[in-house]
Amino acid sequence: MLVKNYIIKRLLLGLMVLFGVILITFFLTRVIPSNPAAQWVGPRATPEQIQQATVELGLDKPIYIQFIKYFKDLLSGNLGYSLRSKQPVINELKTYLPPTLELIFMSTILAVVIGIPLGVNAAKKKDKALDHFCRFFSVGAVSLPTFWVALFLQLIFYRWLDLLPLGGQLDTRIKMLYEIPDYTGFLFLDSLLSGNWVVIKDVFSHMILPAVTIALYPIGLVARMTRSALLEILSEDYIKAARSYGLKERLVLWRYALKNSLGTTVTVLALSIGYTLVNTFLVEAIFSWPGIGSYIATAVVALDYPAIMGVTLFSAFSYILLNLTADIIIALDPRVRV
Amino acid sequence: MEVFRLMKRKLSLLLVFILLTGVLAGCGGGDVSDDPSPQDEVEIAYYAYNSEPILNWDPSVMFSNGIIVLNNIYETLLRFDPKTKEFDYLLAEDYSVSEDGLTWTFNLREGVKFHDGTEMTAEDVKFSIDRTMELGKGASYIWAAVSEIIAVDDYTVEFKLSYPSPLDLVASSPYAAFIMSKDAVENAEENWFENANEAGSGPYMLESAAMGDEVIMTTFEDYWNGWEGDHFDKVIIKKTSETSSRRQMIEKGDADITQSLPSEDVEALKETDGVEIVVEPSFTNLIGFFNTEKQPLDNPKVRQALSYAFPYQDVVDYAVGGYAKQSIGVIPFGHWGHSDDLFQYTKDLDKAKELLEEAGIEDGELKLLLTYMSGDESEKKSAELYKAELSKIGVELEIRAMPWETQWEMAMNEDPAERQDIFIMYWWPDTSSPYSWLYSLYHSEEEILFNMSYYSNEEFDTIIDNAAEISGTDIEKAEEEFIKAQEILIEDSPSIFMYDKEEVWAINSTFKGFEYNPSYPLVVFFYDTYRSK
Amino acid sequence: MIENRFLKTLKAKFKQFKQNVFLLKRNRLTKLAFYGVIALFLIAIIVPIALPSDIHVDQDTNPSEKLLSPSFEHPFGTDELGRDVFKRVLLGTRISLNTALIAVGIALLIGVPLGAIAGYFGGFLDEFIMRITDVFLGFPPLLLAIAIAAFLGPNLQNAMLAIAIAWWPWYTRIVRGQAVSIKERQFVKAANAIGTPSMKIVFKHVLPNCVAPLIVQASMDIGGVILTIASLSFLGLGAQSPTPEWGLMVSTSRNYFLNAWWYSIFPGLAIFFTVLVFNLLGDGLREILDPKTRKN
Repeated sequence: MLVKNYIIKRLLLGLMVLFGVILITFFLTRVIPSNPAAQWVGPRATPEQIQQATVELGLDKPIYIQFIKYFKDLLSGNLGYSLRSKQPVINELKTYLPPTLELIFMSTILAVVIGIPLGVNAAKKKDKALDHFCRFFSVGAVSLPTFWVALFLQLIFYRWLDLLPLGGQLDTRIKMLYEIPDYTGFLFLDSLLSGNWVVIKDVFSHMILPAVTIALYPIGLVARMTRSALLEILSEDYIKAARSYGLKERLVLWRYALKNSLGTTVTVLALSIGYTLVNTFLVEAIFSWPGIGSYIATAVVALDYPAIMGVTLFSAFSYILLNLTADIIIALDPRVRV
Repeated sequence: MEVFRLMKRKLSLLLVFILLTGVLAGCGGGDVSDDPSPQDEVEIAYYAYNSEPILNWDPSVMFSNGIIVLNNIYETLLRFDPKTKEFDYLLAEDYSVSEDGLTWTFNLREGVKFHDGTEMTAEDVKFSIDRTMELGKGASYIWAAVSEIIAVDDYTVEFKLSYPSPLDLVASSPYAAFIMSKDAVENAEENWFENANEAGSGPYMLESAAMGDEVIMTTFEDYWNGWEGDHFDKVIIKKTSETSSRRQMIEKGDADITQSLPSEDVEALKETDGVEIVVEPSFTNLIGFFNTEKQPLDNPKVRQALSYAFPYQDVVDYAVGGYAKQSIGVIPFGHWGHSDDLFQYTKDLDKAKELLEEAGIEDGELKLLLTYMSGDESEKKSAELYKAELSKIGVELEIRAMPWETQWEMAMNEDPAERQDIFIMYWWPDTSSPYSWLYSLYHSEEEILFNMSYYSNEEFDTIIDNAAEISGTDIEKAEEEFIKAQEILIEDSPSIFMYDKEEVWAINSTFKGFEYNPSYPLVVFFYDTYRSK
Repeated sequence: MIENRFLKTLKAKFKQFKQNVFLLKRNRLTKLAFYGVIALFLIAIIVPIALPSDIHVDQDTNPSEKLLSPSFEHPFGTDELGRDVFKRVLLGTRISLNTALIAVGIALLIGVPLGAIAGYFGGFLDEFIMRITDVFLGFPPLLLAIAIAAFLGPNLQNAMLAIAIAWWPWYTRIVRGQAVSIKERQFVKAANAIGTPSMKIVFKHVLPNCVAPLIVQASMDIGGVILTIASLSFLGLGAQSPTPEWGLMVSTSRNYFLNAWWYSIFPGLAIFFTVLVFNLLGDGLREILDPKTRKN
């Protein structure tokens, strides 16, 4: 009963936050210093062409009408047109999203697989060498500038060791020689499904560096959170009780303590996906990875406001949704108290 | 408990597996060539381009880099060769102009097929240019002199002008001069061009276009000039913005041709086997416009002083890596209307200081703002070098990177005090005529468009207007007049004429037949190229 | 009488401070981090005096010496216009620290009063402020900073403002939480009863009790803020050439990556070291000042 109310309250709050986000983004787009009509028409425009564009884009109407139009457009999925490519932003987002999702998925797996054990072991052996190392590592991972890590990894694995490629998703030659499968739109998944070992290897070798780069932050975060959540729980009375009953330490650690700290970990993971998404903005361009990170990096330099806004809205929405989901999952878990 | 131990073990195994596969994948990359491939016989040309190959597919409207694609898919009536100053006949076999220069008659080539199967007639030409003029977008203004187009018969087109204009130059322009199939375009649904469709007659057809990032073209079997000899079957033009990626592709042979690499990479590629570096003049030059309506830049002495302070040689050597020439006048090297005899400033800090003193400017009194286009490494370095130089004569220069449109808007501000002091930008011609520079950049304008110096000189205006009119009929005389106009310009110094850029192409040694034509900026006419074995 | 009370609280606070410093010193990592921070501040203060940034930029420009590899004369090599990268990295310290401190300062100035008002007064004001906070927290901070900086215009001041706007909600939340709990305390109720004006209660009782968690949060944030500044500059939204900002230097170095790899490494290393040191310090401070973990 209480849980249901909580969920409904959270949903309503989520909707309100979404609306607030839309309001803020609209406000931002109207604070633009430069003339969007001029940008739309291009570098060699005449004044008549600019005037024509102003009317075409509806920029001569009062602000509240513009907002209503903006809101209606959003609801119907219209995110405007990129000032550079004149393409609908929503189409460009759809094209550039799958590669980024692949990276995020990979990095989340890495975060769980490396981060949780790291955090657990650090909590287990508190204040010993391992703990210090883990703490240092997790703080370090969170302190690293991701774009620098990207360059550094490129330096080591491409320039010095010549083991991995410089960037892109696929080798040009492989693209020309083999038919690249397209079942789901996710290149790695498709290549796995097609079973073409050469392609799988190639796709993987292109993906590993960007994935590891953006995984560092979530790994550090997850390790840190797991450790501190676990530490808090380990000092609780019921743990002391379990220990005094003579239960094996491993059981205590993994079965009881970890389960109860999962709540925090799930939240942190959800948060980290949001952060990872934003980290891709810094990293994709370096690896020539054709995802929305590269898309917004180019848009930012060109100040392509609709594109920037489109990506911002999408990222914010995802972030809010992820948090909402995490909150609801936690609320539904009877062991976790809200 | 066992479960959890197992889980932990499984997780660590998974991790090791992932890392191992990654390393193995990298090691095993060389197996590719062993596998048989059915596409070995297809010759593919690969052009690695630094931004999107094309954003707007409409040939009447497209006014930026899309020409590298459209000039292979569409054709124009004529093609200009700046080296000989003569025209190659493409869709037109011959042309003539009346005495008064107001009627131009083009005789069209027979038997030209469009990609949709229809044959080209005068109707298509009339339709194409009418459409371009009606839409009024992009570079359509090059046809401004045309009052009427008449399809005299199936293969003859007449252009009636309201004032003289060099229509042969206009018809060979890289922008807005494409001939399209009337049949295909007239009956096309809405957004036909936006959906990447084409109606050209050129040697290559569009096979696929991935969101403007990558364009793949394939040969048009019925091309009027035929396919004898060696040609490429497919052409790929792909966006690769990272310079290190482009360089790597050329080094490995993955790409056949690219340009706009930093000079450091070019130097490295010179040493690489299998890569050739070709340096050609481009018709792009960098100009720094003074805001002549703002004090003290309204004083020509100050402008001359600032022109003497610009580190021309350093900029050429270090901002462009040596791949440029200091400008002489407004028209770049290799283009008609250029004259080596015009006066050229050199860096002379003493002279600069002298002139500033004469103008009554004290040391440290002058503070200026220079804006340049963000993302352009050469512009940035030029600005930084200029800043360092100016500090030596007590002038403080603030440099600011801005996106092009923002910079432009700032310069168009009604209030001169709100504008930047120096605006630097590249210019290249839309039609291969000095008029493109002199008119667009320095002709008096009521509402400023590109005359960023706000320069206004009636004598100058008259000379260039006159020269433009006679350039269709007497190109030598026109050239003389254009040179005279530049003398006036240099005297008044409304701008710093910085450098004429050279185009540096990095080409795979097996890619043959490429001869750059700077009148068609960055365009590779793939029809002329082939793979040598 | 008032002075007496004031002195007493001061003494108590000082004693607590000494205790904290003692605890701080016990944890080796935190101690190292503390010294690291001091070192950074020293660099940030001294270097720009000995080597004013604009003079360096103008006089050091020596394009014939561009992209030299690290040597005794140029420990970090030179950049694309021949400027000494080592000097630029040092100069960048002041820029990063300055911008970060101001950004966090502005965020505190906005967030703390809002949180105090929301927490103390409760009711509709509380709801209203907290909903706004929620909306701002609906963006990952870097994302909001990117969006705001893009629309305000790419320069360092706007980046600072953008970060302040992205960060203030966190402080509001903390302060509000504190305010709500303090509100129920006896001495506050007493003060209310005798008619002390609300604002005075807020300033005298509520705010001082928020100082500890705020310090922890702010010091943990400085690292993140420095990282955000570098990231914004890397994207082209923060510092502009020729400012010797670390993120900008890494971004510029990409053009020369295959020719001068060292150019990318050192500014990035500076960012890493600085952020690490602040994060470690913040981490240590949290362990010290947070009563829960203090027990251990």
